[in-house]
Amino acid sequence: MDIDDILASVDHGPGASRESAAIDHQLLTRFWAAERAVSEVLPWPAPLMERMMDRVRIQIETIEDLAASSADMDPSTKHTTHNPNLNLRLSILQTDLARTQYLLRSLLRQRLSKLSKHSMHYLVKLASRSKNPLISDSQSQSQSQSQSQPNSQLTPGDSVPDISSISEISPLSSQEATFVHAHQTMLAGHFGGSFMGAFPPQLRRLDDNAGGTSMVQGPEMKEVVFVRCLVVEVPVVVPGDEGEEDHGVLMRMGDVWVVQWEGVREAWMKGLVELL
Amino acid sequence: MAFPLPRGITPSEIAFLAEMETITIVPRQRLEGMELLSGSIEPLGPPRRASLPLWLALLLKRQRRAHIIPPSWLHPEPLSLILEVESQHQDYKNAFSPPPPLPGQASVTDHETESIARPQYTPDGERYYAAPPFLPHNISGAGTGEKEVPALPFHWIEVGNMLLDAASDDLVDPDQLRRLLKDLREVRMAKMRSGVDALDAAATGGGGVALTGVGAMELGEERGFLTGVVDNLRKIGASKEQARREQLADQRANGGYGATQEDEEEDYMEF
Repeated sequence: MDIDDILASVDHGPGASRESAAIDHQLLTRFWAAERAVSEVLPWPAPLMERMMDRVRIQIETIEDLAASSADMDPSTKHTTHNPNLNLRLSILQTDLARTQYLLRSLLRQRLSKLSKHSMHYLVKLASRSKNPLISDSQSQSQSQSQSQPNSQLTPGDSVPDISSISEISPLSSQEATFVHAHQTMLAGHFGGSFMGAFPPQLRRLDDNAGGTSMVQGPEMKEVVFVRCLVVEVPVVVPGDEGEEDHGVLMRMGDVWVVQWEGVREAWMKGLVELL
Repeated sequence: MAFPLPRGITPSEIAFLAEMETITIVPRQRLEGMELLSGSIEPLGPPRRASLPLWLALLLKRQRRAHIIPPSWLHPEPLSLILEVESQHQDYKNAFSPPPPLPGQASVTDHETESIARPQYTPDGERYYAAPPFLPHNISGAGTGEKEVPALPFHWIEVGNMLLDAASDDLVDPDQLRRLLKDLREVRMAKMRSGVDALDAAATGGGGVALTGVGAMELGEERGFLTGVVDNLRKIGASKEQARREQLADQRANGGYGATQEDEEEDYMEF
């Protein structure tokens, strides 16, 4: 990479540099494999996804331009010299585009499927964070959310947290947050209409945790995943109950391990391990 | 259903990933360089060798626009050597042969140098450590002059089979390659199965089972079985795990932190 490349990347914005196109593609591929491997929704990589969507849009325009130029090609013009390779170039560009679109589509659908499965969990998680900004994204806190309001609500829909005023919506994207709220509201309406309406009012909450058992199911964090260690060494951690951590086995560079997801979650967030 | 596939990438998705491996070709025609979403493609001009993603190399090969130079490991000699190590060598009775090193990783035979991870930087300024399929593990080594120990790359089954399917005329002795690949697969599959006893370690918090050297497709085949076994073991051992955590918490409360490190379960199995 020489100075011209650096200048070019500055001139044309983040989507234009060649180097970053290749790395972004690798990042997207790795993120997709990770999203497919774990049961929770991973933090939405907003800058990466914006760059990818920009590139896809630009690439579609390029392909359309090329296709148009091949369509109105006049045999008498001097452009005919390019013609033999034009169809090949088009098919390569289209294959590349289709492969990227497949990655994006698979990624988004996988996230949607996880979100609709655990919609209440993510809503409660978002809502609990806004009530107490000191709580980071620790899983255990949202589960034990206290029920301060009196049980006077009449429909299950009232227990769906309102997240419209929340600005910090990690791990979701804004569209996903809207979706998950709409999805859960409809689900609550359906539950209320079909059977929960017949319950006594105090039993109508969807986030009921009477008797110490939360009715909100979250993703299983202890499921095992396959990881490759990318740096010199990474310990598998045992998350403690009060934020304390113990260290388990040590993974070395290039090793592939079967470990519990919560043991390598932090290392994955830092990009020190890769999910396979 | 928003998404019907099970958790963990499926064999066809693994093959999709394997098609991103870089491979060496000799083009038979000129082609201008291109900016693809997956990175830029160098201009092709025969008879100069070029490195392309496997999917593109296969596309060109099917249209008879290029010859594929087989990866340095996909020859009868290195494969026979690896097969011998896998089946005869004492050190690898229960382990896979070592994979090709990551950038900056010290090789297995070389105990002098330390591994130092070499990061690249993402456009967001974060560290990024490249890994297969984005490492040059499948290019032809003839030009680099490196004398490396032969090793099976992560996507060896997929790359091997795809090349045998689409480009067997470019390979050296394809029938023998087929035989060797099949033998390797069987030897390694037996190791994978025999290691199931060690899986209990992965069911406890902080424990794990090493599978270093495993191939992507081998993982894909065993993923459902392994995760099922470990998750069931974890459920069975949940009360034991709870007791262990309480014991650890007690010890920590008594200030005996150093002792807990010693007790930590490390009975994993190199395999």
